[in-house]
Amino acid sequence: MKKALLLFTFGVLSVVACRKTFVPGTPTKDASLEGESVNVAEFPADVKKIFVLNEGQMGANNATLDFLRRSDGQYITGAFKKMNPSAAAGLGDVGNDIAIHDDNVWMVINNSGLVEVVSAADETELATIEIPTPRAIAFDDKYAYVTSWAGAFATYEGYEVVDSSNPKGCVYRINLSTYKVEGNVEVGYQPEGIAYYDGKLYVANSGGISSQLPPLYAYDNTVSVIDTKTFAVTRTVEVQVNLKNVYADGKGHIFVTTLGNYFDVHSGLYVFPADAPDQVTHVTRDFLKHTHVSCSFALGDEVYCIGTENEFAFNEKHVYILWSYNAVKDKVSLYLVDLGGVPYGMAVLEDSIELRTLLVGDAGDYFNPGTVTCYRLYDLQDKVWSVTAGVCPGHFAVWK
Amino acid sequence: MILAAVIAFCLQAPPDTLAPAAVYAVKELPVVRATEAVWVDSLVSTPMGVADILRAFTGVQVKDYGGAGGLKTVNVRSLGSEHVGIFLDGIQVDNAQNMQVDLGRFSTDGLGQVLLYNGQKTSRLQTAKEYAAGASVHLESALPTVSGGEVRLRGGTLGTVNPSAQWDRRLSGRLMLRTSADFLYSAGRYPYPCFDTTLVRENGDIRSLRLEAQLFGRVRGGSWQVRVYGYGSERGLPGPVIRRLSFPFSAERQADQDLFVQGGWTQEWTARYSTAIRFKYANNYTHYNTHPEKNPMALPYNLHYRQQSGYLSLAQSVVLAGPWSVDVSADVQHNALDSDVGQFVTPRRTTLTGALATRVVWQTFRAAAHLVYEGAWDRFRTPSAGGWSRSGGYRDSWMPSLSLFWTPLRWLEADAFVKRTYRLPSFNDLYYSLMGNANLVPEAALQVGADVRLTLRPDGWELGLRVSPYYNRVSNKIVAIPTLSQFRWAMLNVGLVDITGADVKASASWHSGPWRASGTLRYSFQQALDHSVPDSQTWGNQIPYIPRHSGSVSASFGWKDLAFTWDSSFTGSRWSRTANTPDYYLAPWSLSNAAVQYTLRFRERGVADRPGAPSAGRALLLGVTIDNVFNTPYQIVQGYPMPGLSAQLSVSFRW
Repeated sequence: MKKALLLFTFGVLSVVACRKTFVPGTPTKDASLEGESVNVAEFPADVKKIFVLNEGQMGANNATLDFLRRSDGQYITGAFKKMNPSAAAGLGDVGNDIAIHDDNVWMVINNSGLVEVVSAADETELATIEIPTPRAIAFDDKYAYVTSWAGAFATYEGYEVVDSSNPKGCVYRINLSTYKVEGNVEVGYQPEGIAYYDGKLYVANSGGISSQLPPLYAYDNTVSVIDTKTFAVTRTVEVQVNLKNVYADGKGHIFVTTLGNYFDVHSGLYVFPADAPDQVTHVTRDFLKHTHVSCSFALGDEVYCIGTENEFAFNEKHVYILWSYNAVKDKVSLYLVDLGGVPYGMAVLEDSIELRTLLVGDAGDYFNPGTVTCYRLYDLQDKVWSVTAGVCPGHFAVWK
Repeated sequence: MILAAVIAFCLQAPPDTLAPAAVYAVKELPVVRATEAVWVDSLVSTPMGVADILRAFTGVQVKDYGGAGGLKTVNVRSLGSEHVGIFLDGIQVDNAQNMQVDLGRFSTDGLGQVLLYNGQKTSRLQTAKEYAAGASVHLESALPTVSGGEVRLRGGTLGTVNPSAQWDRRLSGRLMLRTSADFLYSAGRYPYPCFDTTLVRENGDIRSLRLEAQLFGRVRGGSWQVRVYGYGSERGLPGPVIRRLSFPFSAERQADQDLFVQGGWTQEWTARYSTAIRFKYANNYTHYNTHPEKNPMALPYNLHYRQQSGYLSLAQSVVLAGPWSVDVSADVQHNALDSDVGQFVTPRRTTLTGALATRVVWQTFRAAAHLVYEGAWDRFRTPSAGGWSRSGGYRDSWMPSLSLFWTPLRWLEADAFVKRTYRLPSFNDLYYSLMGNANLVPEAALQVGADVRLTLRPDGWELGLRVSPYYNRVSNKIVAIPTLSQFRWAMLNVGLVDITGADVKASASWHSGPWRASGTLRYSFQQALDHSVPDSQTWGNQIPYIPRHSGSVSASFGWKDLAFTWDSSFTGSRWSRTANTPDYYLAPWSLSNAAVQYTLRFRERGVADRPGAPSAGRALLLGVTIDNVFNTPYQIVQGYPMPGLSAQLSVSFRW
């Protein structure tokens, strides 16, 4: 009861505070959208919106875009459809990645075969770019780079796979000023995450499909390094089986998360220096052996991971652990947060080292709308609120 | 789709007759009537498949992915299709891989009756599997009596061509041979509304060939039959309609080769003791290819599956005293699934099913009870692990049931049943490499139901009314949802579903001289509520794809050899998710079909084996069927549009 009162007071204060300090610019077109009201009092002041891309269920065409507005604490679901009523088919089938570049939101809609660009200010459609089986996105100054499973040996935009029974994927390049695809480069099997650092792209190859197909029946275990000037693969780094996400901390470290093989290789976090890619380190500590990764999020120097101890015990209820790694300090931190449900995506907001907010997308039963839950990573480390999102809320992007 | 209606006399099975003081006759009486029964040859224009007959039944929901090649499965009273046993001459048609029996593969040719039992079928000498099914659909062969045959050619606007032939031959006084064949080609191209535009459904074509031979024999005090069945098909899987720009929805193809041999021998050893032996061997091969060279969006799958099963059943029935008899049935079945999928676990399952049943049968009061024990041993082997694993490999259950029947007056019948059944998780549920979920627990179904039937037969008329309230509870319900295509499923344990419902069927038929008319009104109420997790957002919501209200009206008219039928069916609003939110609301729809048939008789020969049978002797039958008369766009499964208005012509010659 005391806690509730405290929260209530905070909520009221925040509204008052916002009214006093927040100077609204020209009202955006989505200002009239209303959703569930949540407490954003302690969110960093420079955050404007937090976007949540809900994957939806494959084949159900129900990927949706939600956002949480910092100014009034409204959590708005299905914003793409609401702001683009003329797009009759909605956002599409399976939202796989979301990123913000230059006040635009880029969404990778996997099973619709497209990249959707909307304005971060009002979610109105700016461009739709067709790319086969796109997975994840990264940017430099001139281009957006999209990994693609490109499961075809049909030629698309000049890309032709040599091995038709088990084709390798590629990275497509989109010109940021024209929104046109300008070439591609072949990487490993079923590339997933991608990150840009210092003139190079780092692409995580999973081999998720290759593991089920003859003749290989094996996961990929490599990171392809692409020089953005020549747009060619300059190096291939061996890490561990089934790679998922790649992050760069901007200080010379490349982080790679892996999913493992669900059988005898666990998921995990690996790190290597950008200038010495062969020095791959598995992040683990004596006090925390189960540095496993179900989902992850990079913030500044820190990579946050949620993992489960009993990964291969499919029949047991999973206990999720939040931990983080900072390569500059070479430090692993463990957080005592009681995470319920099925964490499927996450975001961490930071104001200062002591004040951090965790947002977790809970997939629930993967079929019905999931939830986004807010935790504080300080003090009581408690659950603050929970709202209904779309189906499988898996991907977060913070607009500042 | 053809939705053929029922004309006069076929609304009820032939009335029971009780030969006085004969043990022999008493034991033949059924305890509970079939909920619905249709004589196939009484329909105006023969439907393309069994699904077209079943979809008219009360409490039945046929899931249809559209087109001649689209998967068609049957769900009864929200139990889920896995609880519905499909029995061909008493032997179950099973699919251990996904427990989805595609009704689209069953022709109505050669069938005598199609029956649906909501409660427990309680005839003598049933297989143990017949006791173990939650609800059951029985496809009964028409027994040939004389040499004859039929050739037919059908074709329609959906680019469908369907020639078929059946030939019955008396080999000796005790032996009949029936052979039949049919070929189907359907282009499956039809326009449908796709978001804000109209497209033509692509990659929905099918070609299939069915060849069948049946041998029927009689011995002293008994009979036997053997059936050899071969089916081959090659079809496109058109995929769900989703947002795409220039890439196609799907280029997936599936080829199937199904072969089975089944048979049975029923013997009356004495007036008190009889046995039935039945067997089956089935071999089903499937080749699934996503054809990435035709679709940049396709994942490069090119997979082969082979499923085999062997089955043996012995049923025994003893009349202990007067109206009291006891049946003991035991079945053993072995299933095997092989595939070239990576990390495939090559599952094997041996199932033993035993049933002890007892029946007491008087003319006005009848009762039956049974207890089934089913145990299944599962073994699987992963290439990486080597050797056979038996961990968690044994599942068993006890399934009891009680049925009562009372007919206090000639025109009034009442029955009631209570039954608990259980279905094993399928191989896909358990072991599918990506979607499989080893957490799945077996699914139990508790059913309580009653029927009240009024039948009045004033001169020239037959009036019927049936009211059937029921309550079902499905615990640990496993829901299968198609993902990328119809071939791959996501498994979900919804948990607990409480289903309260009622089926009402009113029928009237009339005949006078050359004129006849009949009408049937059906209504189903189904409240299928998710009670899995208290306080969750879905608690108390209607489960996906089950309409609360549904019903149909059908009317048939006949004059001499001309028959006309009209059906309109209504499906109420549904949700595609357990979260009953506006985003997942599916609007109600109604559908109307019509059919006309003219029979040109050349020569009368003998007497019709049953009143109302349209032909005995040489005849030419001409039929026109109009489906979806008002060109209503609708989807039974979200993302799978159904065809609009279509017409079909049929010409057949019987001799």
